[in-house]
Amino acid sequence: MQLRDKNASKAGLLEKAKQLRELTARYGVPLIINDHPDIAIAVGADGVHLGQDDMPLGEARRLLGPERIIGISTHNIGQARLAQAEGADYIGVGPVFPTGTKPGRTPVTLSYVSEAAAEIRIPFVAIGGITPDNVDSVLEAGARRICAVSAIVGNADPAGVCRRLLERISRYEAARESSGPAKSCEVTVNGRSVLTDAGTVAELVAQYGLLDRKLVVEWNGAVLARHEWEKTPLENGAVIELVHFVGGG
Amino acid sequence: MSDDRRSESGWAVGRDGGRTDGDGGLTSRVDSDRYSRQIRFAAIGEEGQAKLASACVLIVGTGALGASLAQHMVRAGVGTVRLADRDFVEFSNLQRQSLFDEEDAAQSLPKAVAAADKLRRINSGVAVEAHVVDVNERSLPPLADGASLVLDGTDNAATRLLLSDACFARGIPLLYGGVAGSQGMSAPLVPGRTACLRCLIGEGDDGEGETCDTIGVISPAVDFVAALQAAEALKWLTGNRDAVRTTWLTADLWPFRLRESALPEGNPACPHCGGAARPDAGRLPAGGYGRGRDSKPVPGRRTAAPVAGTAVRFGEAGEEIGGPARRAASAVQDAGPIEAASLCGRDTVQVTLGFPLKLDEWRETLAARGCRLTANPYLLRAELPEGEKLALFPDGRILVQGTTDTGRAVALCREYVVR
Repeated sequence: MQLRDKNASKAGLLEKAKQLRELTARYGVPLIINDHPDIAIAVGADGVHLGQDDMPLGEARRLLGPERIIGISTHNIGQARLAQAEGADYIGVGPVFPTGTKPGRTPVTLSYVSEAAAEIRIPFVAIGGITPDNVDSVLEAGARRICAVSAIVGNADPAGVCRRLLERISRYEAARESSGPAKSCEVTVNGRSVLTDAGTVAELVAQYGLLDRKLVVEWNGAVLARHEWEKTPLENGAVIELVHFVGGG
Repeated sequence: MSDDRRSESGWAVGRDGGRTDGDGGLTSRVDSDRYSRQIRFAAIGEEGQAKLASACVLIVGTGALGASLAQHMVRAGVGTVRLADRDFVEFSNLQRQSLFDEEDAAQSLPKAVAAADKLRRINSGVAVEAHVVDVNERSLPPLADGASLVLDGTDNAATRLLLSDACFARGIPLLYGGVAGSQGMSAPLVPGRTACLRCLIGEGDDGEGETCDTIGVISPAVDFVAALQAAEALKWLTGNRDAVRTTWLTADLWPFRLRESALPEGNPACPHCGGAARPDAGRLPAGGYGRGRDSKPVPGRRTAAPVAGTAVRFGEAGEEIGGPARRAASAVQDAGPIEAASLCGRDTVQVTLGFPLKLDEWRETLAARGCRLTANPYLLRAELPEGEKLALFPDGRILVQGTTDTGRAVALCREYVVR
């Protein structure tokens, strides 16, 4: 559980944090405080969540020590890579869909979820406009953890919404398990080295969310016809270019 | 009106392709002075030049790529250059569409007509045909008849897939080119040697992605890609078929980057490039159209032929079109459903009525209804009081400018033209 209240005074926030710490401790749920490492320390929370414009990650780490969780919101793969390199424990990936929680912010769309799923090795949490109605598409894009605000607190039955979301996540996890242990493979995609658990070219394209796009796939220097995508297993060291079809004339 | 002008009127398509069937007497047309530098190029020579003179190419789309391609083909002395385009010249075209000038834009001349006019002045020895027509599965077969190859100057994937199917059914190459921003791509798709476009890019209905209308385009990128296509055309047409590149080339001029990847062979399971994978492909005279999956038009019935973008057919699912006034008009009654397709990124919808339009009559009618009119022998443009502009073509097409809403476009056509 994360405490996020952009409008509360610091004293008010501290009071809420104390109460939530008591409650979450009783249920064994980790508590993360948004934006304020000092409150996290004061109430003994498990960690802190930072925005891109908040305290730098290194500074927060120095304050919180090596054990506490530090997460950071990211809005593109560059920020995600940086967060991973700087020792974040997890990242937020979003907003996936338009959301009233972050009004005016352009959604990063499912394609960023796919990019993160293909490349980022630390846990990532998809966030932004996710509801029981669209959560499948987010999980399909490769997310294993999701965060919901409006869908839960804006519903008359918050517990019911949580149960439904959990049920969807469990179902995808079960499908993941039954498809066998993930084997990861290091390939070069559009000039970048990528570690992926995709088994075939088709799965890789799917992880980037590009399966239904008009796309030319180059595989080790030759164009791969679409019907070969599923039959071509990824191998270490393969060089892949995903090229959008250029249609003007 | 000359013969040429008649073929330019659109729906009555073209001449026969007979001139490609034999060489008799055509060598005499070779103008050794005009073509001296091309003949001196060893791989072409007198023999290659004579082959060019007896060849016929179809260029689909006479916009940026198409105009550049047409110029290459006409200057090189290809016997028949057939242009097909549905659009007319506008000022926004002049930055990159090299055959057009301000006068063409001021007159809203159809691109095929304006281009043919310039091309005939460049080389009067070439038979330049202008077809003002929407290239779809009904109009394509006669256009492709007798063509030795098809040059892609289109601006959308749907038409390219149609061209690919038709070319592979006929055993003639499609020289694909595409451009947007500072990027371009080109690939010769050759029956019997490479896979077809459908096997490479799939049929995903994801719109057009980035186009010149969404991310802009710089003129050098256009000419770069057209040059790649034209070079392969010269190889093929002069009998240097083994020299044709079988790679997919991707280029960006800004920043500069160039990549080339081998094209796969045809997919045995594909009805287009699988069945056409025969050793003599491309050497036979054009065979009957209709082996391809989507290729056979059903006589007397208008089939759904999405042209570009999202195609919607009206008049299906019990929707009433036009009401009593429409039923009273016999020309209309025989026609099929009205079709509408939003042209990607263009703020334009193409509405296909399914019956020809007499421009003179509509000129009077629309003037009486308060529209500002511009007319030329090929089309009639009307500025509606609502703000949108209609361009009426004799073949029964109306380009509705100023909307992307197919429903609104059809409603305006009903309001002003169909009733």
